[in-house]
Amino acid sequence: MFRRIVIPLTAIAALLALFAVVSPTGARGDSRSTSDKHYVDENVTIDQPVMGTVQLYGGTLMLRDVIAGDLLVIGGKVTFTGRGRVEGNLIHAGATLTGADGRVGGRTYPLASLEGAAGALTKTAIIASLLLVWLIAAIVVTLMSGREIRLSSVEVRTSALHCFVLGLVALTSFVLTAIAFSYLVPYVIGIPLLAALGVFALLTKIYGMIAVFHAIGTLVAGARSRGQLEQRKWLRGDLAMVVIGVLLLGALRLIPVVGTILWSLASIFGVGVALATKFGRREPWFLEFRAANA
Amino acid sequence: MTCEEYLQDPDANTVHLESCANCRALEEELGLPVDVQHRPLRVDALPLASWEGASHRTWPLVGAGLVAALTLAIVLSAYAGISPMTVVSSSMPSLDALLTFLQLTGRAIGAPLVAVLFVAINTILFLLLRRAPKGVDV
Repeated sequence: MFRRIVIPLTAIAALLALFAVVSPTGARGDSRSTSDKHYVDENVTIDQPVMGTVQLYGGTLMLRDVIAGDLLVIGGKVTFTGRGRVEGNLIHAGATLTGADGRVGGRTYPLASLEGAAGALTKTAIIASLLLVWLIAAIVVTLMSGREIRLSSVEVRTSALHCFVLGLVALTSFVLTAIAFSYLVPYVIGIPLLAALGVFALLTKIYGMIAVFHAIGTLVAGARSRGQLEQRKWLRGDLAMVVIGVLLLGALRLIPVVGTILWSLASIFGVGVALATKFGRREPWFLEFRAANA
Repeated sequence: MTCEEYLQDPDANTVHLESCANCRALEEELGLPVDVQHRPLRVDALPLASWEGASHRTWPLVGAGLVAALTLAIVLSAYAGISPMTVVSSSMPSLDALLTFLQLTGRAIGAPLVAVLFVAINTILFLLLRRAPKGVDV
């Protein structure tokens, strides 16, 4: 019952919620605030000054006049012409910008580093450099707590679906919690809360990815029998499995599009297994109250 | 084998006495003759446990991996005209941009919907976290 119905339904609900958060289709047309405008998959021309911010999720935007606030573009295409200008910041991810040079009063931020990379070679160089960082982090963490990594690796192989669902729900929860905390930024408390959430999410991802590296290394190069294990000189032990996993997933990461998808899937599995095993400690997250028997 | 299983049929399960001090003490207390029959055990026939050989550290493989990754990063960065350290330091997204993105997205969704989704998703997360890990204890 639990496996057949609840887990798939939870996965679908988590995906829908994540989609709703990242791409707010309910916010089509004019904004709830009088000065802000949101557009989802629309072809828009702005030829009147906008006093607030403009958000574009997909679609195209022809900017012919001034936006006083920020411009957020996720997966869309923006063309600056005429008096088109953004007084605030320009934040973009997966977007195509034309004629934006010298027309942004604030700063231009790509949400992901790869988006900001000019060419394919630069993107590959970034991936390779980050792969080196991942390899060093994986070696250090495995040397410090190899048993925990191994326990998490076993869990992700024996209970993959649960880890995936948990990862999806946890990522959605991180995003929603961050949005909820961002409402508290004007009250000061929002900043430390966001920082704590960011650190926790980062640690979860790093630990989880290393567990996934170990799992991939074991699946690909792990010994199948005791005799095979004894014959091996190099391909044995937690450290070797992690290194093989990093190099393999890193090599796949270099493939355009497919690599990004695989790395994202590995991240979801990683976050899920880190939380499912409580960072390899296999302790319950929540203790249940039970009255002592006299 | 548990002590209960042994006590149900002590003659058939005498091998349990080898590993259980309590049952052995009980047998000695009763003064019964203890005849431990060893069952042949083939270790190679048992499945390989994940902890076997896990502590082995293959430094040549680690070194080779590090050198390969470092070489790849340096060569590609040199061709692209950027330094690896610059790439790593600039790879983190800007905090200002993230904060603005969160605030704008929150405004687009609307506070009531954010609150409902927040409660719903975190309830599901709480329920999922209550499940015990199923991996083999190693």
